[in-house]
Amino acid sequence: MYKKAKTWISNNPDLSFAILLSICVYAYFAFTNDLFATHRTGYAIMERFAVLGLVGLALTLCIIAGEIDLSIGSNAALSAVITVRFTDSLGAPTALIIALVIATMIGAIQGYFIAYLRVRAIVLTVGTLMLLRGVSLFAAEEKTVMLTDFRVPDFISTKMLWYFSPASLLVVSMFIIVGLFMSYTRYGREIYAIGGARKEAIAAGISLKRPMIIVFAISGLCAGLGGAIIGLRSGTAQALGLQYVLLAGTVAAFIGGVSIMGGKGGVIGAAIGTLSVNFLNTGLVFNVTPAFMVQLYLGILLIIVIMFQTGSRVFDENQRRKQILADADNLARQLSKRRKFLKAPP
Amino acid sequence: MSIDSSVENPNLIQRLTRDYSLLVLALVAVFIAVFIIGAATAPNFLTILNIKTILRDAAIVGIMAIGLTFVTLSGNFFLLSMKETAALSIIAFATSMSAGYGFEISFLFTMIIAMIAGAIQGLLIGLGGNPIVVTLGAAGLFFGIGSWWSDNLVVSFRRPHGAEWLGSGSFLGLPNITIAFIIIAVLAEFVLRRTSFGRQVYLVGANRATGRATGHENLPMAIKVCIIASVCSAFVAIAFSAQVSSAHVNYFSSSFGSSGDMTIMVIATVMVGGNSIMGGYGSSLRSSLGAVFISTCDNMMVLHGYNSGPRVLAVGLMIVFSIMVFALVQRGSRSVE
Repeated sequence: MYKKAKTWISNNPDLSFAILLSICVYAYFAFTNDLFATHRTGYAIMERFAVLGLVGLALTLCIIAGEIDLSIGSNAALSAVITVRFTDSLGAPTALIIALVIATMIGAIQGYFIAYLRVRAIVLTVGTLMLLRGVSLFAAEEKTVMLTDFRVPDFISTKMLWYFSPASLLVVSMFIIVGLFMSYTRYGREIYAIGGARKEAIAAGISLKRPMIIVFAISGLCAGLGGAIIGLRSGTAQALGLQYVLLAGTVAAFIGGVSIMGGKGGVIGAAIGTLSVNFLNTGLVFNVTPAFMVQLYLGILLIIVIMFQTGSRVFDENQRRKQILADADNLARQLSKRRKFLKAPP
Repeated sequence: MSIDSSVENPNLIQRLTRDYSLLVLALVAVFIAVFIIGAATAPNFLTILNIKTILRDAAIVGIMAIGLTFVTLSGNFFLLSMKETAALSIIAFATSMSAGYGFEISFLFTMIIAMIAGAIQGLLIGLGGNPIVVTLGAAGLFFGIGSWWSDNLVVSFRRPHGAEWLGSGSFLGLPNITIAFIIIAVLAEFVLRRTSFGRQVYLVGANRATGRATGHENLPMAIKVCIIASVCSAFVAIAFSAQVSSAHVNYFSSSFGSSGDMTIMVIATVMVGGNSIMGGYGSSLRSSLGAVFISTCDNMMVLHGYNSGPRVLAVGLMIVFSIMVFALVQRGSRSVE
């Protein structure tokens, strides 16, 4: 058992680090605050998880594919505005489906253009970030849109099974589906391939378009669902809101073990990374920390994680260079020995 | 053989898709047409006061954009922390002014803080961190420090102060911030064209490997360009604070100005001006013109009575258009990463 755990840790160093970090954060707040380790707080954390988890998942998938989707906050805001605006007239399910279809289509179109134009995603998505803000301002008519019927918000935050609500159950099932998709289907593996080794993947005959469209469509779907949940839960939506999700989602993805070079990380990591961020968030709120301090801590956390990653990459590179030099040295020595042996008179 | 024949006798569509210059010209012509129609129909567009307003708006975004141009040209994409650096600087300046130090000392103090902020980001980027992720984290950090320092309150200082000439003074009929914008634009253009540092920025941006082979690593370059960008941000913050005699971390957030987020506006200016976001191609003059162009369009739409939705949408369309033209024109002419 112990040995098994040891090999698992050495096989998954990033994941075990993420688990350790989340346990540490949870334990710290559980010990300093009596109310933290109750199932009511657990429910609150799962409610946060419903939104941030989706953003973290979307960013994890994008970073696995070697790109970053900066327009995720705008897409979520657009979806929130559409859902809230049409819920009164069309009913919540129809409004939700319309919003999700639009968000997924936006993601897929972005993915198509990234693959077709061969630009980096950050370049295109910084444009669509602004574009979608404009569209959502249009859709909201520059106002804060509101629900008049509050049965829907009541329904989606009904407590079930102590920890869950319909919204968070939906998100958890989404995680499971995406996780299975990423590990067990060919399309999922293609996403890993174009992230980790793009040139090799293209040389091996994977078209860039399909995985790029799939990954950005899933990212758009996740962003749209997150925005719709936040809009329906609070009953209001703002076109210029939800800017903060990008930082929190990126922190979650990086804690979950993705590498900026792509091809690393996974859905479980995204879940654990988001949980750590949520523990930190909720715990800080419990200890009456102002909202801007949360941003400060998240910023510091992100910079530390990046420093570790960059440092380890530079270290690895140096090691490899040293190894190559040593190998070459060894080879030269052996060759010269052999030459001496050959030249030596019988 | 079939390839040869298609090269020799291209039909119109093939020629168009191969040679995008016609497309570019057509779209630029559309822009010019829209501009002239707008100028002719918008009320009070061609008055001296309005042109001054346009230049003033352009100056605030433009100075930041010139700073960011250095980062973009050196191949480090863009900084997502421009607005937060400005927020930190504005708090530093106003706190120092309200504590009774003079303008000069406050100015130096703010600049030193901005330089430290830039140097930290540049160091992390130069060591191999992804510019977007590093500056996203730095943005959260700077904004948090600014809010914490000011307790999330408005810091104000009394009216007769040493910075008034920068905020509300004018020279030759133009506001001083506009004069500063022109001076910075000329200076930046001179540095980029005529000094060896400027040429190194282009070299590192155009080809990282060549830069390294000729002894110009990205690490010192990233630190230098990030400091330049941060100092430009801080300058805008100081000028803004000098004008309103107060400071708050949210001055540069989404409620600022007309079109969305300040950082994204600055990035938009750099892109719309026609700088290659991958580095090595462009100039600070383009960014300045981009700033004037965006603020002219914005002004025109305001005069026509449009709300913020269409205006943000227009800027977004301009960015996407610029990206697409660039990607299509440059396709095949340089290796894609």
